[in-house]
Amino acid sequence: MSEVFEPRIVAFVCNWCTYLGADLAGTTRLEYPANVRIVRLPCSGRIDFNLLIKAFEIGADAVLVSGCHPGDCHYNTGNYHARRRWMLFRPLLEVLGFDMRRLHFAWISAAESRKFQQTVKQVVEETRQLGPYQYPAPPTDSYGAGREPHKNHFDAAAAQQRAREMLEAKEVDVVIGYGSSGPVFIRRPEDVDQITCEETGLNLAAYLGRKEVRAMGRAAILTKPMDAGALVVLERESQIESGAVKTIPIGEPGKGDFSDLDALLALPPAERMAWWAGEFARCTRCYACRQVCPMCYCERCIADKNRPVVIDTSPTPVGNFAWHVTRAFHLAGRCVGCGACNHACPVGIDLRLLNMAVHRAVAEQFDFNVGADPKAESPIGCWAPADHEEFIR
Amino acid sequence: MSEIISSDNLRKLAAEWIEQGVRVAAPQHAGGRVLYLPLKNSADLLLDAFIHPANSAKEFLFPKSETLYAYRVEGQDVKLVEAPGTETPQVLLGVRPCDAAAFPILDHIFNWDCADELYNRRRRNTTIVVLACSAHDANCFCTSVGLGPASERGADVLLVPLTNDTFEVRSVTEKGRSLFAGKTQTDNVAAMAAAGPEPRFAPDAVRKFSAANFEHPIWGEHALACVGCGACAHTCPTCHCFDIVDEHGERVRNWDSCQFSLFTLHASGHNPRPDQGSRQRQRILHKFSIYPDKFGEILCTGCGNCTRNCPAGLGVLPLLIAIEHEEHLPA
Ligand code: SF4
Ligand code: SF4
Ligand code: SF4
Ligand code: SF4
Repeated sequence: MSEVFEPRIVAFVCNWCTYLGADLAGTTRLEYPANVRIVRLPCSGRIDFNLLIKAFEIGADAVLVSGCHPGDCHYNTGNYHARRRWMLFRPLLEVLGFDMRRLHFAWISAAESRKFQQTVKQVVEETRQLGPYQYPAPPTDSYGAGREPHKNHFDAAAAQQRAREMLEAKEVDVVIGYGSSGPVFIRRPEDVDQITCEETGLNLAAYLGRKEVRAMGRAAILTKPMDAGALVVLERESQIESGAVKTIPIGEPGKGDFSDLDALLALPPAERMAWWAGEFARCTRCYACRQVCPMCYCERCIADKNRPVVIDTSPTPVGNFAWHVTRAFHLAGRCVGCGACNHACPVGIDLRLLNMAVHRAVAEQFDFNVGADPKAESPIGCWAPADHEEFIR
Repeated sequence: MSEIISSDNLRKLAAEWIEQGVRVAAPQHAGGRVLYLPLKNSADLLLDAFIHPANSAKEFLFPKSETLYAYRVEGQDVKLVEAPGTETPQVLLGVRPCDAAAFPILDHIFNWDCADELYNRRRRNTTIVVLACSAHDANCFCTSVGLGPASERGADVLLVPLTNDTFEVRSVTEKGRSLFAGKTQTDNVAAMAAAGPEPRFAPDAVRKFSAANFEHPIWGEHALACVGCGACAHTCPTCHCFDIVDEHGERVRNWDSCQFSLFTLHASGHNPRPDQGSRQRQRILHKFSIYPDKFGEILCTGCGNCTRNCPAGLGVLPLLIAIEHEEHLPA
């Protein structure tokens, strides 16, 4: 051991408060360790979670995020938005087993040069104790347990009957149902017997945005108990008109069961991280999870942006970690728990666990029910002065 | 006379290989399904009670992500760093015949206009031990593309299940013979390969139809349910399209799929395959017309993985059946 470990800290700070605080520390000769590289952004509200992940990817040992104190934002509410986002982002990193001692949040004003100095000193010292950040190598002796492929049966006769009525009454132009080999798009009442009694986990709301499907006219879809929530979110996000899509409910509602998530959370973080590394090692980036998700309707997904590349496209441990963080977090307050992603994954990665962690945080911290009221504001698009956390210094 | 080996001895042999530092890949339980994975413990080796792993064995010759070379910027210079490659010997054990039949295809692809050194090095160091099938499911159609449950194409050794947990060992190549030399017993039983699936369609009809019907409503109709993911191509033993990206100072080759909308997107924003119908047509055309015209064989081994893994229950088979039906309709 010749070299002493010098932690590399990346600080993402807002232009108006923390950056000026850091500047003041410099001009007033308040010394702080040179381990920190400062990245200035207009506002803490503009600090995207992908930047944090990227910093760790390219060699940071810890990250500090800092902006103006609540009430002081130069754009009025940017930091409130940021606070909400971090309140939901942390539970996601937690379920992934990420070492939370490497991620620090602070409010530091332009006058608080001493707080900046102290914070940086603390972060550097704590990180020095932790040692270098390393993404765990995929385990060589286990490949995870994953999830069984899924198939459910339901009563097709009632669904066929309802579809026939809707088409005959010209209430809708197309009924999207489950057929013998995948989804069927029924346009004539006499074809309703193509609807069979097997569904393979797809949420048919995923088809509503397709150009070809829109061209068919007014649609009805068969919905499993959790699926219809997607229509609420799509309406909230102005993707469909209120009441424009009819539903034909099938299947019996199950009970919300978080026991798998709790079992995972009971493991120590490092073990959780290693477990996910084994799971993600199987991911080929086929994007079936994204393509079947009714909420992943983006015309061009951030994972497909290549000028510049935001998320590594390589199915490597690092690239896959970034992809799964992004997918799950883009579904914060939007995932309706239909499980389509899980069923679509050809290598059986239990993606549901990530969504559930964020889903639970949304419900517990903001008392928000994703699939209930289309008029309710999305929890990540709004904020409240009362938002309560205990992790921001 | 035939050579036989018991499943216990086969496991012992696998354990020996692992012990010797050979990388053994074989079907195992993982992720709630059966997958070809590197074998750590010979007890995990699956020799029966599965139809086809959810992935394909191609990833052990053509990995999903591979560094071709690295570069470092030094002052005014860019320095290239060769990828180390690997000379580790590899045994693919318990590979299904439909996976093995894809290896000669990959050999063509990676040596057609230039010789791919990384692929070839891995290939030279690989021995393929095929496990004949004793059952098939509704997605299998090897017999429709000229293969079968005990096809030897691409195999170095073919293991055919006998009763009482033994296998007949049929060496196909010298490489295979030397791998099992002295490890088998002689017997006078001969294994009977199981019956394959009934043929589902005629590839010639597909070829004729797809070459003549570039514009046809069937493409768009069948593509309606397709969500445009990579599940089919990534789990297909013969699909070999890749993307090349520069990440963290490395030039990396990653699996791609013609079913992604990004696959043909031009920098200008124009996309010559603007909808899923044209992408599905491409997949069928390439497999049943373009590739056969160029290399004289079908780019599909009938493994059925594309249908098995498709979240929408598609893959090539339903479309192939529909095409043949269409081709035989009176004009
Ligand atoms: S992962 Fe995010 S950017 Fe990509 S499609 Fe889904 S919501 Fe859109
Ligand atoms: S479906 Fe599975 S393998 Fe495909 S990108 Fe998603 S997690 Fe990865
Ligand atoms: S196209 Fe489908 S059936 Fe043919 S080799 Fe590929 S995965 Fe197998
Ligand atoms: S055929 Fe199936 S697996 Fe292939 S791209 Fe379409 S939806 Fe995905």
